[in-house]
Amino acid sequence: MSDTYEVISAFLDDEPFEAARLTEALSEPGGRELLIDLLALRHLAQAELKDTPALQVEKPKRFALHALAAAAVFVAMVGGYLAGVQRSDMTMPVAPPATRIVQAPAAWQEVPPGRLP
Amino acid sequence: MAPDAEALFAAHQNRLFRYLCRAVGHADTARDLTQDVFVRVSRATIPAAADGEIRAWLFQIARNLALDHHRRHLRRPELSALTDAAARLPSQDVDVAVNEALAVLTDVDRDVFLMREVAGLGYEEIARACGLTPDAVRSRIHRARLQLRELLASPIATRRTIPMRHSGRQPSE
Repeated sequence: MSDTYEVISAFLDDEPFEAARLTEALSEPGGRELLIDLLALRHLAQAELKDTPALQVEKPKRFALHALAAAAVFVAMVGGYLAGVQRSDMTMPVAPPATRIVQAPAAWQEVPPGRLP
Repeated sequence: MAPDAEALFAAHQNRLFRYLCRAVGHADTARDLTQDVFVRVSRATIPAAADGEIRAWLFQIARNLALDHHRRHLRRPELSALTDAAARLPSQDVDVAVNEALAVLTDVDRDVFLMREVAGLGYEEIARACGLTPDAVRSRIHRARLQLRELLASPIATRRTIPMRHSGRQPSE
């Protein structure tokens, strides 16, 4: 369904329109009122958005992700190297001294292996 | 040659953000959705097409995201983050009124209106983005305007008292 005043919308939107139809629409007070109201409506729809601070959407972080991955690999490599150096410097642990010494009884006999009494 | 995602982001982020702001009624959500548009774009094959077609493609993605957002939240645009009427500025009252009026429109009527008035797309581009014919876009935009004119009669009357400028399409960015 085509509205008589649809041509006013097309005119406002810089879309193709028939001049004769626009003349006809604007020859009526209702058409002229509509034109002004639609301009005011446009200003209302855009008003707050013009005041909205510039969008601070960050760009896709492709570069940042690559840099982060490279840094992680570097840290892992350096960490691995340092851990290896530290381990190679360590001396073998010494066994702790015995806390109790068991003395062999006087009747102790050494039995060669395989000749149990 | 098809543009890359970063070039598209630089050229269209503000336009998309403005549209999404009104479509979902909340700037923070609109920022997230704008990001989501470009996440999708970076994963997609960008068509080697004219600027208008690319723009329509971007808005088709944005529109789908906004509709998904509404479905997830089972409601129409968030009317305002501000609930304390006494603390609002007059301009914020108008903003809430605009969002409330937009929420009354059908999804398609709201989107064609916003793509035209807020994002500055032409009828051909809107038709591509919304899967309509340019004639249908023309009718729907006009119908949406008539409905909003009734719903916003008071703010429109106030706005008429302030000098205006005939601004057609919005500057590209």
